[in-house]
Amino acid sequence: MKPDRLRRYIDLHAWLGMVSGLALFVAFFAGAINVFHHELHHWQEPYHGEEAVPPGGMDRLLTLVTNQHPDARERLFLLPDEHDPGVMWFESGEEGGEWLTAHASDFNEAGVREEQPRSGLADFINQLHYQLAIPSGGLPVNIGMTLMGLISVIYGAALFSGLIIHWSKIRKEFFALKHEGNLRRYWKNLHNVIGVISFPFHLIMSVTGAAMGMFTVVAILLGVLVFGPQLRAVIEEETAVWPAVESQDESVAMAPMADYLSAARHELPDMRIDWVEIRGYGDAAGWLDVAGSLPGYIGHHVHVVLDPTMAPLKVIEPGARSFNFDALSPVYALHFGDYGGLGVKLLYFAMGLLGSLLFVSGNILWCERRSDRIGPGRSSAFLLRLTLGLCFGVVIGIAFSFLASKVLPHTPWAALVATAERVVFAAILLVLTVWSLRASPLRFSGLMTRLAPLTYLAVPAVQIGLEGSHAWREPDNLLINLVLLAVAGSLWVVRRQFRKRVRQAEPHPLWVGKVSQEHPKHLTETEIDNAASLPD
Amino acid sequence: MRHFAGILLSLPLAMMLMGLLAAAVPAPWQSWLVLQLVLGVVVWMLLSLLVALPEKAWLPVTALLVANLAAWLALQTTSLYGGGA
Repeated sequence: MKPDRLRRYIDLHAWLGMVSGLALFVAFFAGAINVFHHELHHWQEPYHGEEAVPPGGMDRLLTLVTNQHPDARERLFLLPDEHDPGVMWFESGEEGGEWLTAHASDFNEAGVREEQPRSGLADFINQLHYQLAIPSGGLPVNIGMTLMGLISVIYGAALFSGLIIHWSKIRKEFFALKHEGNLRRYWKNLHNVIGVISFPFHLIMSVTGAAMGMFTVVAILLGVLVFGPQLRAVIEEETAVWPAVESQDESVAMAPMADYLSAARHELPDMRIDWVEIRGYGDAAGWLDVAGSLPGYIGHHVHVVLDPTMAPLKVIEPGARSFNFDALSPVYALHFGDYGGLGVKLLYFAMGLLGSLLFVSGNILWCERRSDRIGPGRSSAFLLRLTLGLCFGVVIGIAFSFLASKVLPHTPWAALVATAERVVFAAILLVLTVWSLRASPLRFSGLMTRLAPLTYLAVPAVQIGLEGSHAWREPDNLLINLVLLAVAGSLWVVRRQFRKRVRQAEPHPLWVGKVSQEHPKHLTETEIDNAASLPD
Repeated sequence: MRHFAGILLSLPLAMMLMGLLAAAVPAPWQSWLVLQLVLGVVVWMLLSLLVALPEKAWLPVTALLVANLAAWLALQTTSLYGGGA
């Protein structure tokens, strides 16, 4: 490739990466933990000793909720759980309404709902991952999710440009994590090695992330420009498991929920049930969609649609579903990594953490390269400090959210736990970002790389202190605590490598806060290579 | 700024190209809508990359405007809008 063209690709790759890097860091770090979303839901429940299982289970919960909330009869999602099943439904109101949740343990013996203070940690981490925890504010388009969709498109373009840049020297760079005289070369090699190793993973994330995040915008555009107003009805028809209920005002006695689940398993014996959607509860024209997974497939999502008498209406499974379902299922599965058991989840977790490192190193490279090319300036110094402040703020902020989630339920402020998890994160993020903008980047990074692993070590330690052996006897608790220890270990490795490089090489002037004309300009490695290849 | 303009103008073009593909493929467009969505996103990424490469800012923006208009006109010759397969 001609040097000037390569230079344009490099400039473009750097610009695209810089624009999307910080948002992607948040999405990847939160996403790495969010791989264990289901387990985190169990981990966040406070443990106060062995508690009695709420009486009546799923059937009592469904009866109470549908009696007290008529809207729940129209459409309701049930999360089956042996100990404390939950339901979710849309409650209409004067200002449009909202989704509500209730658990069996929320109802006392008289059937009166007494809402328990519940942690919202797993949902917060999830929102941080897919919408940067930006509130949607009741708008028809989810702003945070659409923003992340757009970021994913930029990220995809950056990936393709990175592939073009490195294609000819991939083999050479594959084992090139070496240190040759300066810190910048280390960041560059680290960035390249991670990028090359995890390219397929990142391609999957960018395409599926963009498809999910931009779905509303893309559907509107396809409707306006290509298919017309009919598109909305077509999307509903093609993605619905069964047509909407057309009630004849004929009521029916619902069977015990365990029987419906059993009927679904009769259709698909290997099915693992995740949730049940109930349309028209107690209506003879209603139906239940028992949704779950079938192990052994990437597109593992399956549905068994039953009528109120448990007769199967439709079974959607691999090999027996529309092409749209066949295409949609892998989009979700490949993004969430829930298709191959614990091994794949751990791989996604590791790739998520490595991805975070990829974006930090990319941003640092951009700042140093800009400083080298156009001379010392405030913008490069500002962006480096902003990158460090935001990244350490997110990492340490999430750890403090975990700590708040575990500590507050054991204090008189238990009712504030869900709010505290978010507030403490925002406060830490703000403080560390402001601090970073004022401190020497090298000193700030040295301190934060020491603090960050300790915060993640503290979370399992606090849980053991408060809840004893429950922290490791419950499989989901054990897994989450091991994940947190793995994050602590990874951060410790980053600290060790960072200190090692700082000891061995003179840091770039940006890192020590010396941004002045006294420091010479540097050429990047690619520029040196290109200059050498040019004829005299 | 020109990169952002390129990214935004590439989106309708990518979607209209998917529409033209849907018109060309001998299968009902409704039956592979999800694949169109995913392919459309990939085409959008590649277009965003391509239009950011030229050195002159006006060239890709003009090319995108012309391409959008051409794709829209081409779509009018199909029966997709409000019609069947």
